[in-house]
Amino acid sequence: MSNLIHIKAFGMIAEKMGKVSLELENPGSTAALKNELFAQFPVLKSMKFSLAVNKKLVMEDSELAPGVEVALLPPFSGG
Amino acid sequence: MEKERKPKNIFVQGPISPEKIANSIANHASKTDIGGHSIFLGQIRADQKQEGKVIAIDYTAYEEMALEKAFEIREAIFAKYPLTCMHIYHSLGEIKVGEICLFVFTSSKHRKAAMQACDESVERIKAELPIWGKEILDTEGNVWKVNT
Repeated sequence: MSNLIHIKAFGMIAEKMGKVSLELENPGSTAALKNELFAQFPVLKSMKFSLAVNKKLVMEDSELAPGVEVALLPPFSGG
Repeated sequence: MEKERKPKNIFVQGPISPEKIANSIANHASKTDIGGHSIFLGQIRADQKQEGKVIAIDYTAYEEMALEKAFEIREAIFAKYPLTCMHIYHSLGEIKVGEICLFVFTSSKHRKAAMQACDESVERIKAELPIWGKEILDTEGNVWKVNT
């Protein structure tokens, strides 16, 4: 069974990564995902962003279920 | 009877027109239990940056999450203040300086509730909605906006 997760990037993060979405083999947790992303996109290491899993902000390391949507959110600047 | 509230689309493609705002006010004429409205309008400012002068802001959003969050804010504000109604509109896409990009409209029987609810909503919208503004400069460069 495939165990992919869907990544969405926004704002400055998407610009620096050069893409707005990608699929990854599920690394199991948000901390592992960050390491994976830092390895693939070193530019992210110096950037501030938070993670939302299935549209909910995640502050602490959390498990990732297969098929989840993880969004990389730079600081908000609406209004 | 308490009306069931569902997530509404808050996004408007392009600037929010003064006509839309005027119509929105006019639409409340039939709600005669309202005694006060409070309106906040966010307008694009021609900031002078080191790299150039701002001529527009290009807004993007994580729309699905923003709508869920806007609904959550709306429910919390309705629970906290005795409001008759509340409307939130935010622009997406390129909005030029002088144009309106945010419209928050609260109404209540007495003015204080509308004013406080409007103020708190604007603060929460700016802090909690996943929306990003890229400032377009007259030098053809751009800078990601930072909320202060």
